[in-house]
Amino acid sequence: MSLDATLLSRLLQRDVRAFEQLYERHARLVYGLVLRILNHAATSEEVVQDVFLQLWRNAAHYDAQRGPFVPWLLTMARNRALDQLRRKSERQRRLEEQTDHLPEVFTAPDYERALDEKRRAERVRALMASLAPQQKRAIELAYFEGMSHSEIAVALKEPLGTVKSWIRNGLLRLKEGLQQQAKT
Amino acid sequence: MSNCDQFREGIEAYALGALDAEERAAFEAHLATGCAECARAVDEARWLVSQLAYAAPEATPSDMLKGRLLQTVRREGQGAPRAVAAKSAIPLWMWGAVAALLLFSAYSAWHARRLDREIREANQRATALLAEREKTEEELAIARREAMIMMDPASHKIALWGEHAHPETLDAKWHKDLGVCVTGDKVPMPSANHVLQVWFIPKDKDAKPMPSAMVKPDANGKLMLLIMHPPEGMDDTKSIAITEEPAGGSPWPTSTPIWKGDVL
Repeated sequence: MSLDATLLSRLLQRDVRAFEQLYERHARLVYGLVLRILNHAATSEEVVQDVFLQLWRNAAHYDAQRGPFVPWLLTMARNRALDQLRRKSERQRRLEEQTDHLPEVFTAPDYERALDEKRRAERVRALMASLAPQQKRAIELAYFEGMSHSEIAVALKEPLGTVKSWIRNGLLRLKEGLQQQAKT
Repeated sequence: MSNCDQFREGIEAYALGALDAEERAAFEAHLATGCAECARAVDEARWLVSQLAYAAPEATPSDMLKGRLLQTVRREGQGAPRAVAAKSAIPLWMWGAVAALLLFSAYSAWHARRLDREIREANQRATALLAEREKTEEELAIARREAMIMMDPASHKIALWGEHAHPETLDAKWHKDLGVCVTGDKVPMPSANHVLQVWFIPKDKDAKPMPSAMVKPDANGKLMLLIMHPPEGMDDTKSIAITEEPAGGSPWPTSTPIWKGDVL
Protein backbone atom coordinates (compact mmCIF):
# COMPACT_ATOMS: atom_id res chain seq x y z
CA MET A 1 0.00 0.00 0.00
CA SER A 2 1.42 3.41 -0.96
CA LEU A 3 1.97 6.13 1.62
CA ASP A 4 -0.87 8.19 0.10
CA ALA A 5 -3.26 5.23 0.31
CA THR A 6 -2.29 4.69 3.96
CA LEU A 7 -2.88 8.35 4.77
CA LEU A 8 -6.23 8.32 2.97
CA SER A 9 -7.38 5.29 4.91
CA ARG A 10 -6.56 7.24 8.08
CA LEU A 11 -8.68 10.16 6.84
CA LEU A 12 -11.67 7.84 7.10
CA GLN A 13 -10.92 7.66 10.83
CA ARG A 14 -10.88 11.50 10.92
CA ASP A 15 -7.14 11.56 11.56
CA VAL A 16 -6.14 15.24 11.35
CA ARG A 17 -2.42 14.44 11.34
CA ALA A 18 -2.89 12.24 8.25
CA PHE A 19 -4.70 15.13 6.54
CA GLU A 20 -1.84 17.48 7.43
CA GLN A 21 0.67 15.03 5.93
CA LEU A 22 -1.34 14.72 2.70
CA TYR A 23 -1.48 18.51 2.51
CA GLU A 24 2.28 18.81 3.08
CA ARG A 25 2.94 16.22 0.38
CA HIS A 26 0.75 17.68 -2.36
CA ALA A 27 -0.19 21.32 -1.61
CA ARG A 28 2.66 22.81 -3.67
CA LEU A 29 1.77 20.75 -6.74
CA VAL A 30 -1.97 21.49 -6.44
CA TYR A 31 -1.44 25.19 -5.70
CA GLY A 32 1.05 25.51 -8.58
CA LEU A 33 -1.52 24.03 -10.98
CA VAL A 34 -4.40 26.20 -9.74
CA LEU A 35 -2.24 29.34 -9.74
CA ARG A 36 -1.17 28.59 -13.33
CA ILE A 37 -4.85 28.42 -14.32
CA LEU A 38 -6.19 31.39 -12.34
CA ASN A 39 -3.08 33.58 -12.13
CA HIS A 40 -4.42 35.10 -8.90
CA ALA A 41 -2.98 34.08 -5.54
CA ALA A 42 -5.97 34.75 -3.25
CA THR A 43 -8.53 33.05 -5.54
CA SER A 44 -6.15 30.14 -6.08
CA GLU A 45 -5.83 29.63 -2.31
CA GLU A 46 -9.63 29.55 -2.03
CA VAL A 47 -9.79 26.84 -4.68
CA VAL A 48 -7.00 24.83 -3.04
CA GLN A 49 -8.81 25.13 0.30
CA ASP A 50 -11.97 23.85 -1.35
CA VAL A 51 -10.12 20.91 -2.94
CA PHE A 52 -8.51 19.77 0.31
CA LEU A 53 -11.74 20.18 2.29
CA GLN A 54 -13.53 18.05 -0.31
CA LEU A 55 -10.78 15.49 0.18
CA TRP A 56 -11.28 15.55 3.97
CA ARG A 57 -15.05 15.31 3.73
CA ASN A 58 -15.24 12.78 0.90
CA ALA A 59 -12.15 10.62 1.29
CA ALA A 60 -14.40 7.56 1.03
CA HIS A 61 -15.16 8.57 -2.57
CA TYR A 62 -11.58 7.75 -3.55
CA ASP A 63 -11.06 4.06 -4.29
CA ALA A 64 -7.38 3.12 -4.14
CA GLN A 65 -8.13 -0.16 -5.92
CA ARG A 66 -9.30 1.71 -9.03
CA GLY A 67 -6.40 4.07 -9.63
CA PRO A 68 -3.63 6.25 -8.24
CA PHE A 69 -4.42 9.16 -5.92
CA VAL A 70 -2.38 12.08 -7.25
CA PRO A 71 -3.86 12.14 -10.80
CA TRP A 72 -7.33 12.07 -9.23
CA LEU A 73 -6.46 14.95 -6.90
CA LEU A 74 -4.98 16.96 -9.79
CA THR A 75 -8.07 16.35 -11.92
CA MET A 76 -10.30 17.59 -9.09
CA ALA A 77 -8.09 20.69 -8.67
CA ARG A 78 -8.08 21.44 -12.41
CA ASN A 79 -11.88 21.04 -12.69
CA ARG A 80 -12.46 23.41 -9.81
CA ALA A 81 -9.97 25.97 -11.04
CA LEU A 82 -11.47 25.94 -14.57
CA ASP A 83 -14.96 26.29 -13.09
CA GLN A 84 -13.72 29.30 -11.13
CA LEU A 85 -12.14 30.68 -14.31
CA ARG A 86 -15.46 30.43 -16.11
CA ARG A 87 -17.13 32.15 -13.12
CA LYS A 88 -19.97 29.73 -12.82
CA SER A 89 -23.18 30.90 -11.23
CA GLU A 90 -23.77 30.53 -7.53
CA ARG A 91 -26.31 27.79 -8.15
CA GLN A 92 -23.85 25.76 -10.18
CA ARG A 93 -21.17 26.34 -7.55
CA ARG A 94 -23.47 24.89 -4.90
CA LEU A 95 -24.05 21.85 -7.08
CA GLU A 96 -20.32 21.40 -7.43
CA GLU A 97 -19.91 21.20 -3.69
CA GLN A 98 -21.87 17.99 -3.67
CA THR A 99 -20.00 14.74 -3.52
CA ASP A 100 -21.18 13.56 -6.91
CA HIS A 101 -19.27 16.38 -8.57
CA LEU A 102 -15.97 14.76 -7.58
CA PRO A 103 -14.19 13.22 -10.54
CA GLU A 104 -14.22 9.49 -11.00
CA VAL A 105 -11.08 7.65 -10.02
CA PHE A 106 -9.47 6.41 -13.20
CA THR A 107 -7.11 3.52 -13.76
CA ALA A 108 -3.59 4.35 -14.86
CA PRO A 109 -1.38 2.38 -17.26
CA ASP A 110 0.91 -0.22 -15.68
CA TYR A 111 3.99 1.93 -16.19
CA GLU A 112 2.55 4.61 -13.82
CA ARG A 113 3.99 2.66 -10.88
CA ALA A 114 7.48 2.81 -12.34
CA LEU A 115 7.41 6.60 -12.72
CA ASP A 116 9.32 8.62 -10.17
CA GLU A 117 6.64 10.90 -8.73
CA LYS A 118 8.99 13.71 -7.80
CA ARG A 119 10.89 13.85 -11.07
CA ARG A 120 8.23 13.29 -13.68
CA ALA A 121 7.68 17.08 -13.57
CA GLU A 122 11.09 17.54 -15.19
CA ARG A 123 10.14 15.09 -17.94
CA VAL A 124 6.74 16.68 -18.62
CA ARG A 125 8.29 20.19 -18.74
CA ALA A 126 11.10 19.03 -21.03
CA LEU A 127 8.60 17.35 -23.37
CA MET A 128 6.39 20.42 -23.46
CA ALA A 129 9.41 22.64 -24.12
CA SER A 130 10.39 20.40 -27.02
CA LEU A 131 7.08 21.00 -28.84
CA ALA A 132 6.73 23.68 -31.51
CA PRO A 133 5.61 26.95 -29.82
CA GLN A 134 2.12 26.97 -31.43
CA GLN A 135 1.56 23.28 -30.62
CA LYS A 136 2.60 23.85 -27.01
CA ARG A 137 0.31 26.90 -26.83
CA ALA A 138 -2.63 24.87 -28.18
CA ILE A 139 -2.21 22.24 -25.45
CA GLU A 140 -1.80 24.92 -22.78
CA LEU A 141 -4.98 26.69 -23.91
CA ALA A 142 -6.89 23.40 -23.69
CA TYR A 143 -5.47 22.25 -20.36
CA PHE A 144 -4.90 25.46 -18.42
CA GLU A 145 -7.69 27.58 -19.91
CA GLY A 146 -10.25 24.87 -20.67
CA MET A 147 -10.71 25.90 -24.31
CA SER A 148 -12.27 23.62 -26.94
CA HIS A 149 -10.72 22.83 -30.31
CA SER A 150 -12.81 25.51 -32.03
CA GLU A 151 -11.98 28.17 -29.45
CA ILE A 152 -8.28 27.40 -29.78
CA ALA A 153 -8.46 27.54 -33.58
CA VAL A 154 -9.98 31.02 -33.31
CA ALA A 155 -7.50 32.16 -30.64
CA LEU A 156 -4.47 30.98 -32.63
CA LYS A 157 -5.94 31.82 -36.05
CA GLU A 158 -5.15 28.32 -37.27
CA PRO A 159 -7.33 25.74 -39.13
CA LEU A 160 -9.41 23.50 -36.85
CA GLY A 161 -7.86 20.32 -38.27
CA THR A 162 -4.36 21.61 -37.52
CA VAL A 163 -5.28 22.36 -33.92
CA LYS A 164 -6.77 18.88 -33.48
CA SER A 165 -3.62 17.23 -34.85
CA TRP A 166 -1.33 19.38 -32.71
CA ILE A 167 -3.17 18.47 -29.53
CA ARG A 168 -3.45 14.76 -30.26
CA ASN A 169 0.13 14.37 -31.47
CA GLY A 170 1.44 16.40 -28.54
CA LEU A 171 -0.40 14.20 -26.03
CA LEU A 172 0.78 11.02 -27.75
CA ARG A 173 4.35 12.34 -27.58
CA LEU A 174 3.88 13.01 -23.86
CA LYS A 175 2.63 9.44 -23.44
CA GLU A 176 5.65 8.00 -25.26
CA GLY A 177 7.99 10.16 -23.20
CA LEU A 178 6.46 8.98 -19.92
CA GLN A 179 6.60 5.35 -21.10
CA GLN A 180 10.31 5.80 -21.88
CA GLN A 181 10.93 7.37 -18.48
CA ALA A 182 9.24 4.41 -16.79
CA LYS A 183 11.68 2.06 -18.54
CA THR A 184 14.83 3.90 -17.37
CA MET B 1 -14.81 -2.10 -33.87
CA SER B 2 -15.61 0.17 -36.82
CA ASN B 3 -17.90 2.15 -34.56
CA CYS B 4 -15.01 2.71 -32.13
CA ASP B 5 -12.60 3.67 -34.93
CA GLN B 6 -14.45 6.88 -35.70
CA PHE B 7 -13.97 8.06 -32.10
CA ARG B 8 -10.42 6.84 -31.53
CA GLU B 9 -8.71 10.05 -32.63
CA GLY B 10 -10.82 12.15 -30.29
CA ILE B 11 -10.32 10.19 -27.08
CA GLU B 12 -7.39 12.29 -25.77
CA ALA B 13 -9.24 15.50 -26.66
CA TYR B 14 -12.34 14.20 -24.84
CA ALA B 15 -10.30 13.54 -21.69
CA LEU B 16 -8.78 17.01 -22.05
CA GLY B 17 -12.25 18.56 -22.37
CA ALA B 18 -11.35 20.03 -25.78
CA LEU B 19 -14.01 18.32 -27.92
CA ASP B 20 -16.67 20.65 -29.22
CA ALA B 21 -20.19 20.07 -27.88
CA GLU B 22 -21.46 18.06 -30.84
CA GLU B 23 -18.45 15.72 -30.95
CA ARG B 24 -18.55 15.32 -27.17
CA ALA B 25 -22.25 14.40 -27.21
CA ALA B 26 -21.69 11.82 -29.98
CA PHE B 27 -18.79 10.22 -28.11
CA GLU B 28 -20.68 10.16 -24.82
CA ALA B 29 -23.60 8.49 -26.55
CA HIS B 30 -21.18 5.86 -27.80
CA LEU B 31 -19.73 5.41 -24.28
CA ALA B 32 -23.26 5.02 -22.95
CA THR B 33 -23.65 1.92 -25.11
CA GLY B 34 -21.14 0.29 -22.73
CA CYS B 35 -18.15 0.11 -25.05
CA ALA B 36 -15.49 -1.28 -22.70
CA GLU B 37 -12.63 -0.66 -25.12
CA CYS B 38 -13.35 3.08 -25.39
CA ALA B 39 -14.02 3.33 -21.64
CA ARG B 40 -10.56 1.87 -20.96
CA ALA B 41 -8.98 4.25 -23.49
CA VAL B 42 -10.73 7.22 -21.84
CA ASP B 43 -9.43 6.11 -18.44
CA GLU B 44 -5.86 6.02 -19.71
CA ALA B 45 -6.28 9.33 -21.56
CA ARG B 46 -7.59 10.95 -18.33
CA TRP B 47 -4.47 9.78 -16.55
CA LEU B 48 -2.29 11.14 -19.38
CA VAL B 49 -4.06 14.52 -19.30
CA SER B 50 -3.60 14.71 -15.52
CA GLN B 51 0.16 14.55 -16.10
CA LEU B 52 0.03 17.96 -17.82
CA ALA B 53 -0.36 19.44 -14.32
CA TYR B 54 3.36 18.86 -13.87
CA ALA B 55 4.00 21.43 -16.62
CA ALA B 56 2.90 24.13 -14.15
CA PRO B 57 5.69 25.29 -11.83
CA GLU B 58 5.10 24.24 -8.23
CA ALA B 59 4.27 27.11 -5.89
CA THR B 60 4.01 27.47 -2.13
CA PRO B 61 0.65 28.56 -0.72
CA SER B 62 0.64 30.84 2.34
CA ASP B 63 0.90 29.43 5.86
CA MET B 64 -2.47 31.05 6.50
CA LEU B 65 -4.13 28.63 4.09
CA LYS B 66 -2.76 25.64 5.97
CA GLY B 67 -3.84 27.25 9.27
CA ARG B 68 -7.40 27.82 8.00
CA LEU B 69 -7.66 24.28 6.67
CA LEU B 70 -6.39 22.64 9.83
CA GLN B 71 -8.70 24.76 11.95
CA THR B 72 -11.72 23.62 9.92
CA VAL B 73 -10.59 20.02 9.82
CA ARG B 74 -9.92 19.88 13.58
CA ARG B 75 -13.35 21.34 14.27
CA GLU B 76 -15.05 18.84 11.98
CA GLY B 77 -12.92 15.99 13.28
CA GLN B 78 -14.25 16.38 16.77
CA GLY B 79 -17.38 14.49 15.69
CA ALA B 80 -21.07 14.94 16.21
CA PRO B 81 -22.28 16.45 19.47
CA ARG B 82 -23.30 13.94 22.11
CA ALA B 83 -27.01 13.10 22.01
CA VAL B 84 -29.16 14.32 24.87
CA ALA B 85 -30.21 11.41 27.01
CA ALA B 86 -33.92 10.81 27.02
CA LYS B 87 -35.75 10.59 30.32
CA SER B 88 -36.15 6.97 31.23
CA ALA B 89 -38.69 5.17 33.33
CA ILE B 90 -36.31 2.76 34.96
CA PRO B 91 -37.84 1.11 38.04
CA LEU B 92 -36.02 1.65 41.31
CA TRP B 93 -35.04 -2.02 41.60
CA MET B 94 -33.05 -1.67 38.35
CA TRP B 95 -30.81 1.19 39.53
CA GLY B 96 -28.16 -1.23 40.75
CA ALA B 97 -27.97 -2.91 37.36
CA VAL B 98 -27.93 0.48 35.61
CA ALA B 99 -25.12 1.70 37.86
CA ALA B 100 -23.09 -1.45 37.05
CA LEU B 101 -23.81 -0.99 33.38
CA LEU B 102 -22.71 2.67 33.53
CA LEU B 103 -19.53 1.64 35.33
CA PHE B 104 -18.85 -0.99 32.70
CA SER B 105 -19.64 1.48 29.90
CA ALA B 106 -17.28 4.05 31.39
CA TYR B 107 -14.54 1.43 31.60
CA SER B 108 -15.23 0.30 28.00
CA ALA B 109 -15.15 3.88 26.74
CA TRP B 110 -11.87 4.53 28.57
CA HIS B 111 -10.45 1.27 27.20
CA ALA B 112 -11.66 2.06 23.65
CA ARG B 113 -10.13 5.54 23.83
CA ARG B 114 -6.84 4.07 24.97
CA LEU B 115 -6.91 1.47 22.16
CA ASP B 116 -7.86 4.17 19.68
CA ARG B 117 -4.94 6.31 20.83
CA GLU B 118 -2.56 3.35 20.61
CA ILE B 119 -3.80 2.47 17.10
CA ARG B 120 -3.44 6.08 15.99
CA GLU B 121 0.09 6.27 17.40
CA ALA B 122 1.02 2.97 15.74
CA ASN B 123 -0.43 4.24 12.46
CA GLN B 124 1.60 7.42 12.71
CA ARG B 125 4.78 5.46 13.49
CA ALA B 126 4.13 3.12 10.53
CA THR B 127 3.47 6.06 8.22
CA ALA B 128 6.64 7.81 9.36
CA LEU B 129 8.67 4.61 8.80
CA LEU B 130 7.13 4.14 5.36
CA ALA B 131 7.96 7.72 4.40
CA GLU B 132 11.48 7.34 5.74
CA ARG B 133 11.99 4.13 3.76
CA GLU B 134 10.69 5.72 0.56
CA LYS B 135 13.01 8.68 1.10
CA THR B 136 16.05 6.48 1.77
CA GLU B 137 15.37 4.31 -1.29
CA GLU B 138 15.02 7.38 -3.43
CA GLU B 139 18.25 8.93 -2.07
CA LEU B 140 20.10 5.67 -2.69
CA ALA B 141 18.85 5.50 -6.29
CA ILE B 142 19.95 9.10 -6.88
CA ALA B 143 23.39 8.53 -5.32
CA ARG B 144 23.87 5.37 -7.42
CA ARG B 145 22.94 7.21 -10.59
CA GLU B 146 25.21 10.17 -9.73
CA ALA B 147 28.12 7.80 -9.14
CA MET B 148 27.53 6.05 -12.48
CA ILE B 149 27.47 9.38 -14.35
CA MET B 150 30.63 10.62 -12.60
CA MET B 151 32.59 7.39 -13.18
CA ASP B 152 31.47 6.32 -16.63
CA PRO B 153 34.12 7.28 -19.24
CA ALA B 154 31.25 7.77 -21.71
CA SER B 155 30.12 10.85 -19.74
CA HIS B 156 30.96 14.17 -21.39
CA LYS B 157 32.64 16.69 -19.08
CA ILE B 158 31.57 20.35 -19.22
CA ALA B 159 33.35 23.03 -17.16
CA LEU B 160 31.01 25.76 -15.93
CA TRP B 161 33.10 28.90 -15.54
CA GLY B 162 32.13 31.45 -12.89
CA GLU B 163 31.39 34.96 -13.99
CA HIS B 164 31.26 38.24 -12.07
CA ALA B 165 32.57 37.74 -8.56
CA HIS B 166 32.47 33.91 -8.65
CA PRO B 167 35.94 32.54 -9.45
CA GLU B 168 34.98 28.97 -8.44
CA THR B 169 34.37 26.54 -11.32
CA LEU B 170 31.59 23.95 -11.32
CA ASP B 171 31.76 20.68 -13.21
CA ALA B 172 28.96 19.07 -15.16
CA LYS B 173 29.03 15.57 -16.58
CA TRP B 174 26.48 14.62 -19.21
CA HIS B 175 25.69 10.96 -19.82
CA LYS B 176 23.43 10.33 -22.79
CA ASP B 177 21.29 7.75 -20.95
CA LEU B 178 21.59 8.68 -17.28
CA GLY B 179 21.38 12.48 -17.26
CA VAL B 180 23.53 15.38 -16.10
CA CYS B 181 25.36 15.64 -12.79
CA VAL B 182 26.56 19.10 -11.62
CA THR B 183 29.11 19.30 -8.79
CA GLY B 184 31.02 22.09 -7.08
CA ASP B 185 32.84 23.11 -3.90
CA LYS B 186 32.89 26.38 -1.98
CA VAL B 187 29.76 27.50 -3.81
CA PRO B 188 28.32 30.63 -2.20
CA MET B 189 24.78 30.39 -0.85
CA PRO B 190 22.22 32.30 -2.99
CA SER B 191 20.60 35.32 -1.35
CA ALA B 192 17.53 34.93 0.88
CA ASN B 193 14.42 33.44 -0.80
CA HIS B 194 16.48 32.58 -3.89
CA VAL B 195 17.79 29.37 -5.42
CA LEU B 196 20.29 28.42 -8.11
CA GLN B 197 18.54 27.24 -11.29
CA VAL B 198 20.08 25.31 -14.17
CA TRP B 199 19.28 26.23 -17.80
CA PHE B 200 19.97 24.41 -21.06
CA ILE B 201 20.67 26.98 -23.79
CA PRO B 202 19.66 25.62 -27.23
CA LYS B 203 21.86 26.12 -30.31
CA ASP B 204 18.82 27.49 -32.13
CA LYS B 205 19.05 31.23 -31.51
CA ASP B 206 15.26 31.60 -31.67
CA ALA B 207 14.63 28.95 -29.02
CA LYS B 208 14.29 29.98 -25.39
CA PRO B 209 16.54 28.65 -22.59
CA MET B 210 15.01 25.49 -21.17
CA PRO B 211 14.42 25.71 -17.37
CA SER B 212 15.70 22.78 -15.35
CA ALA B 213 16.37 21.80 -11.76
CA MET B 214 16.88 24.11 -8.78
CA VAL B 215 19.42 23.63 -6.00
CA LYS B 216 21.16 25.23 -3.05
CA PRO B 217 24.65 24.28 -1.84
CA ASP B 218 24.92 22.70 1.60
CA ALA B 219 26.26 24.57 4.64
CA ASN B 220 29.86 23.76 3.57
CA GLY B 221 29.31 25.13 0.08
CA LYS B 222 29.20 21.67 -1.50
CA LEU B 223 26.85 21.35 -4.45
CA MET B 224 25.65 18.11 -6.02
CA LEU B 225 22.71 18.06 -8.42
CA LEU B 226 21.32 15.31 -10.61
CA ILE B 227 19.22 16.23 -13.64
CA MET B 228 17.65 12.98 -14.75
CA HIS B 229 16.00 14.28 -17.87
CA PRO B 230 18.04 16.91 -19.71
CA PRO B 231 17.11 17.74 -23.31
CA GLU B 232 17.33 14.62 -25.43
CA GLY B 233 20.83 14.42 -26.89
CA MET B 234 23.56 17.02 -26.49
CA ASP B 235 23.62 17.98 -30.17
CA ASP B 236 20.97 20.67 -29.94
CA THR B 237 22.33 22.23 -26.73
CA LYS B 238 24.87 25.04 -26.96
CA SER B 239 25.64 25.53 -23.30
CA ILE B 240 24.60 25.00 -19.71
CA ALA B 241 24.09 28.03 -17.45
CA ILE B 242 23.23 28.60 -13.81
CA THR B 243 21.42 31.72 -12.59
CA GLU B 244 20.05 32.89 -9.27
CA GLU B 245 16.24 32.87 -9.30
CA PRO B 246 13.46 33.50 -6.78
CA ALA B 247 12.57 30.44 -4.65
CA GLY B 248 10.39 28.07 -6.66
CA GLY B 249 12.30 28.81 -9.87
CA SER B 250 11.39 30.81 -12.96
CA PRO B 251 10.07 29.81 -16.40
CA TRP B 252 12.77 32.05 -17.97
CA PRO B 253 16.05 33.51 -16.61
CA THR B 254 15.60 36.74 -14.64
CA SER B 255 19.32 37.39 -14.07
CA THR B 256 22.58 36.96 -15.95
CA PRO B 257 24.30 33.56 -15.56
CA ILE B 258 26.69 33.16 -12.64
CA TRP B 259 28.20 30.04 -14.21
CA LYS B 260 28.20 29.04 -17.84
CA GLY B 261 29.89 26.36 -19.93
CA ASP B 262 29.73 25.33 -23.58
CA VAL B 263 28.65 21.77 -24.28
CA LEU B 264 30.99 21.55 -27.36
